[in-house]
Amino acid sequence: MKRIALEGKVLGENDRIAAELRQAFLEHGILCLNFISSPGSGKTSLLERTLEGFAAGARVALLTGDIQTDNDARRLARFGFPVRQITTAGACHLDARMVERHLREWDLAKLDLLLIENVGNLVCPTSYDLGEAAKIVVLSVTEGEDKPLKYPGIFRKAELMILNKTDLLPYVPFDVQTARENARGINPRIEILELSCQTGAGLDGWRRWLQGRMETARQRVPA
Amino acid sequence: MHELGIACSILEAVRAESARRPGVRVRKVGVRIGEYSGVDTESLRFCFETLVKEDDLAPLALDLEYCPAGNGTRGDELDLSYLEIEEPETS
Repeated sequence: MKRIALEGKVLGENDRIAAELRQAFLEHGILCLNFISSPGSGKTSLLERTLEGFAAGARVALLTGDIQTDNDARRLARFGFPVRQITTAGACHLDARMVERHLREWDLAKLDLLLIENVGNLVCPTSYDLGEAAKIVVLSVTEGEDKPLKYPGIFRKAELMILNKTDLLPYVPFDVQTARENARGINPRIEILELSCQTGAGLDGWRRWLQGRMETARQRVPA
Repeated sequence: MHELGIACSILEAVRAESARRPGVRVRKVGVRIGEYSGVDTESLRFCFETLVKEDDLAPLALDLEYCPAGNGTRGDELDLSYLEIEEPETS
């Protein structure tokens, strides 16, 4: 019996497709963001609030992943931007191939921003690169402050943590400072924004972050 | 929950490696699993065994190497490590 060393990732095929997507996004100046959270943290509400902030005709599109139903796509389609539901039929995450397949019908030259709402799950989506510029983890104040410690993988890989449902802080025993410290303990570089999709508090900061990143994506288009 | 997909990806990788080495039988595949890779090793083993039973690659063993974070590793490894192979007799 002979042993030979192997190089490469188990998910190398996913990574290869993700790299192709990333290159396509770069060439078209598209900012692609991958939103990951537990079920019920408010990803869809955040996306609704985000779409609300864009004028009609803005070059924004969404992919939204769920195990079953197109409820989220219907919620998000009200804003008039292109939305496609990815129904994974049991799979607990999106992978690059699903994204690539669902993007085929869209002309990337007509987009500036692609928002991808992953399946509600803090573990599995973390392993699958979708070609995004950044992963954003959404945490809400009705969850535990220790989620970054319990699920470090996603907090390590996310560039931004959005702490949602801050309007509920008076009613729940959630300590924002502890949550921040836990997140920064796992990932010292993670940016943190606090907001409430319900009241709109803090959405300005989120929109500024988004505009800044879209500007960067535009500037990085190869000549 | 996504261990079945990962088990499929491991088998695909072994199949691709086998195809590049005609006549070679792969007996074992080693995979490095980081502490923060989000993979449940017991579940991965179960999925792998279930899939491989039905596969031309059987019998094929899976060796999972656990990699704690630290000492320069991020702990998110999900890497192919090695293959143990039987080569065709050359005479």
